[in-house]
Amino acid sequence: MSEWLPPESESPEEAVPTTGPAVGRDEWVAREGERRVSRAGWAGTVEERLRRVPWWAWLMLFVAAGSLMPVFESSGYVRLVGFNTVVYMMLALGLNLVVGWGGLLDLGYIAFFGVGSYVYAIFDSAKFGYHVPSILIIPAATIVGALVGLLVGLPSRRLSGDYLAIVTLFFLELFETVATNGNQIFGHDITGGSFGISTVFPLSFAGHTLAVQHNGIFAVSYYYLAIVMFVIVYVSLFFVNNSRTGRAWRSLREDPLAAEVMGMPVNWLKLTSFATGAGVAALAGTISTALNASVYPLNFSPVVLITLYAMVILGGSGSQPGVVVGAFLVSVLLQVLQDPGQARVLFYLVIVVGVIAAYRVSVRLAIVAASTAVFGIATHAIAASFHHSWVDGAHGGLAGVLANWVVVPERLTPWVGQVAYLLLLVGMLCATQLRGRLRLVTLPPTLYLAAFVWENQMIPNPGPARYIVLGLLLIVLMIVRPNGLLGERRVEIN
Amino acid sequence: MAERLLELDGVSLAFGGLRCVSDLDLHVDEGEIVSVIGPNGAGKTTLFNLITGIYEPDEGDIRLAGESIVGLQPHQITRRGIARTFQTLRLFLNLTVKENVMTAAYGHTKAGIFRSMLRTPGMRREEREISELANQKLAFFGERLMGYRWNQPAYSLSYANRRRLEIARATATNPRLLLLDEPAAGMNPVETHEITELIGKLRTEGGYTILVIEHDMHVVEGISDRVVALDHGTKIAEGTFVEVATNQGVIEAYLGLGTAETK
Amino acid sequence: MQFFIQLSLDGLTIGSVYALVALGYTLIYGVLKLLNFAHGDVFMVGSFIGYGVLQALGGASDPVVPVWLLLVLVTLAAMVGCAVLGVVIERFAYRPLRNAPRIAPLISALGVSFFLSNSMQLEFGAQQFNYASYNLSGGALYFHGFDLDHVHIPLLRIITIGSAFALMVVLWFLVNRTRTGKAMRATSFDREAAAMLGIDIDRVIVFTFILGSALAGAAGVMFALRVPTFAAVGFTTGLKGFTAAVIGGIGSIPGAMVGGILLGCAESYTAGYWTTAWSDLVVFSILIAFMIFRPQGLFGRVDIRKV
Repeated sequence: MSEWLPPESESPEEAVPTTGPAVGRDEWVAREGERRVSRAGWAGTVEERLRRVPWWAWLMLFVAAGSLMPVFESSGYVRLVGFNTVVYMMLALGLNLVVGWGGLLDLGYIAFFGVGSYVYAIFDSAKFGYHVPSILIIPAATIVGALVGLLVGLPSRRLSGDYLAIVTLFFLELFETVATNGNQIFGHDITGGSFGISTVFPLSFAGHTLAVQHNGIFAVSYYYLAIVMFVIVYVSLFFVNNSRTGRAWRSLREDPLAAEVMGMPVNWLKLTSFATGAGVAALAGTISTALNASVYPLNFSPVVLITLYAMVILGGSGSQPGVVVGAFLVSVLLQVLQDPGQARVLFYLVIVVGVIAAYRVSVRLAIVAASTAVFGIATHAIAASFHHSWVDGAHGGLAGVLANWVVVPERLTPWVGQVAYLLLLVGMLCATQLRGRLRLVTLPPTLYLAAFVWENQMIPNPGPARYIVLGLLLIVLMIVRPNGLLGERRVEIN
Repeated sequence: MAERLLELDGVSLAFGGLRCVSDLDLHVDEGEIVSVIGPNGAGKTTLFNLITGIYEPDEGDIRLAGESIVGLQPHQITRRGIARTFQTLRLFLNLTVKENVMTAAYGHTKAGIFRSMLRTPGMRREEREISELANQKLAFFGERLMGYRWNQPAYSLSYANRRRLEIARATATNPRLLLLDEPAAGMNPVETHEITELIGKLRTEGGYTILVIEHDMHVVEGISDRVVALDHGTKIAEGTFVEVATNQGVIEAYLGLGTAETK
Repeated sequence: MQFFIQLSLDGLTIGSVYALVALGYTLIYGVLKLLNFAHGDVFMVGSFIGYGVLQALGGASDPVVPVWLLLVLVTLAAMVGCAVLGVVIERFAYRPLRNAPRIAPLISALGVSFFLSNSMQLEFGAQQFNYASYNLSGGALYFHGFDLDHVHIPLLRIITIGSAFALMVVLWFLVNRTRTGKAMRATSFDREAAAMLGIDIDRVIVFTFILGSALAGAAGVMFALRVPTFAAVGFTTGLKGFTAAVIGGIGSIPGAMVGGILLGCAESYTAGYWTTAWSDLVVFSILIAFMIFRPQGLFGRVDIRKV
């Protein structure tokens, strides 16, 4: 396609110079720069076709694919993971509203998830004997969540994002404290304390109870209900985003002062953004609690918050499809990291793809691959010659294949692991700084060390390991691709 | 005599010990184009910030069509009919060109969050009106902002077009008084000429009263009914362009008595 | 009265720890305008380094060096270690985002915080590490000291509070009386203008991170001399630290000190006269009260909106 030709729509005006002076050269350059250049060849065609697919078609495709999951997966565990993923997607949509559109750093978001959960649990459990119908308690919990959000946002409404971050983070901490100590509020038990509330009734509509389990395994009805709620949330938020309120949210993200001067009540808009997000979180909390039949203070720790942020940032904050995909990927990632076999496969896959992406198919790639392999075999041989217990830790599967390469002792002496981890960090940091030959030299030992740490420390401790991965993911994403997978690249002044 | 649209009455503002504006009287009549000139740091942009409510005056009163607007929030003042552009260009860069204009309709539209979620007929009608309004405001700039650029993010626009878009956005708030902060800054001669014509057109076709800060004397000469010269926050001259341009005090303020300052 | 003195002493001790942490937040915020969420975890790493050095020197009950030297070495090691950590964090997690939108380094900081606390948990487990400071030279640091209205004030407390204040004085001197300090203040006032005046911004920022993190390291040791430390301690202490910084007026050095002490005392009195469970609530209420009535904090300046 010839890019220098003006598009057809404009050609009449272009052809006949209208009144006024001729177009200056600067103006011409500026105009050409404004034109969106589409990619050439078939890639461009595909991209253009895909762009024309309407948003609801994507959503329907996604929902259809999601709905088919229980057909192919009969395992109750997998279905439960699917349910949790859908809840995460809802949460991510709400957080995206606050962070991606409103531009507010809400670090107490999970607390509103907790508010929704607790409202449901308190008014619909055997513990206190209330049994409010679901059709009432779900909207009520959503509204309570939004109101609490309004209250928390109120003191920080005039202040910049930093202060909001502090207040909300503290609110999260406070929420945990209140939930944990809520069994002794002036002698009354309100939240069940650190043991939570574990006798929550399932959802019920018009006298029919929606059983949580069916023949002892997870009831698919909850999965479908979650999908329905997800679609409702997605579509409503999509509509809001393309309304005057949504546009106002996004403009206050861009420039609060200009927004104020253009007639938008910035403080009120911040509050509504904050409260709407909180409402979405509370809504997600109700269904999640109904399924789990219990709620504990620890369900709402900062760990969940970081997970959500990783989802939103990875997918692309500001983009609804982005954060949904992000939620899906991170949720899957957390599951994969829990299973030693899968975690191992994932790790080596990432390493191999990463090195190939860095060096392409080249001589240097071959050098890195070969020297890493040799380095490993040599280290392994040396370790084995000292004592066989030094290399006897790995058995079976991919681990068995790798057992001749990575040193996996039967019992790892703690200080060896600690030193290896520290060295790995140093090696990684060096590898990001060095260029050319020096990097080529440092890379094989670093890669080997990574494998060593992964096999000996990360795999046996999936708990901290998965959050280390998430933490790293956040840092690397912010530096390498702050717009995430599907987010539009944003231009920022200041 | 035409109606007094904007009146400043003995307005003063100081930051710490620094007096930015002191005892300033200023008025703009309905349908008038008034230019504010003065050397850098004379308090021109501060004046705009006072009128739009970003700063609150220490003393004095600011009235729009006879009603005091001191103490109102900026967005409330905008709803009463004052819109402005910024010298430093403050567009919503990651919103599309059209959305930038549509945002400005916020003040005179109503649909709330729930109606937007449900997309009620009323909300959709309003949305169509906003879209119509944006089309109309953008069309005002003729081919410059026409057609294919409306769905692009605002950051992809050239400098001159960003200035035009800022004006379009300001007019979409349906103002009576338009404050333009250096509309011709950074434009080449051709574009400067265009902007001069445009400001005239804004009055004749748009029906706006305009208060404009401008450094380019050709623009000032071409558009102004009246010129006000500021220096150190006080008014040093007022009158027609010729009167102000030949005023000894103004020349001294610009040339700084012997030091040649070019601007 | 005795009870009150006891509580005040407690409040002062924990308050001086908060103050040191708050100083780090305030310094870094002043120069970079960044809420360094990872600061609490630097503090936690400091307490771990202190523990490691203490064990390497024979532990509290049987040290190979005199007690005073032991305390100095432990503190110094934590300070140096944290300073290095702070510089590394700045170099790799914040510097690439120097010109990114405001939210980017904040999220990166969250990532660092998470990475640090979980790394420590991976390497050392989630259990508590006790300095066992009452074993230091057979409990002498507890028995000695002086009595105030029949309340015994242990030597260790006096040392802790005294050295915290000494560090603050040193910091005040560094910031207000040295060339680098002047450069720091200039940078925090207007980074671009400072750069144009020939101030090496990178150096100033690195120096700030060294100062702030070293203080966090010292605070970590002081904290752990009182109660055992563990991998997740950084989050809550960090939260209290920057609440103290906000109360004092973020960016203000005396503000951070006063804010820290205030917070420590508030916590201690709540715990003593009411219940430990709700001390968070009291601190949160104080924070909210400041947000509403004095958002710039005790010593902060009100910013003029620039257009």
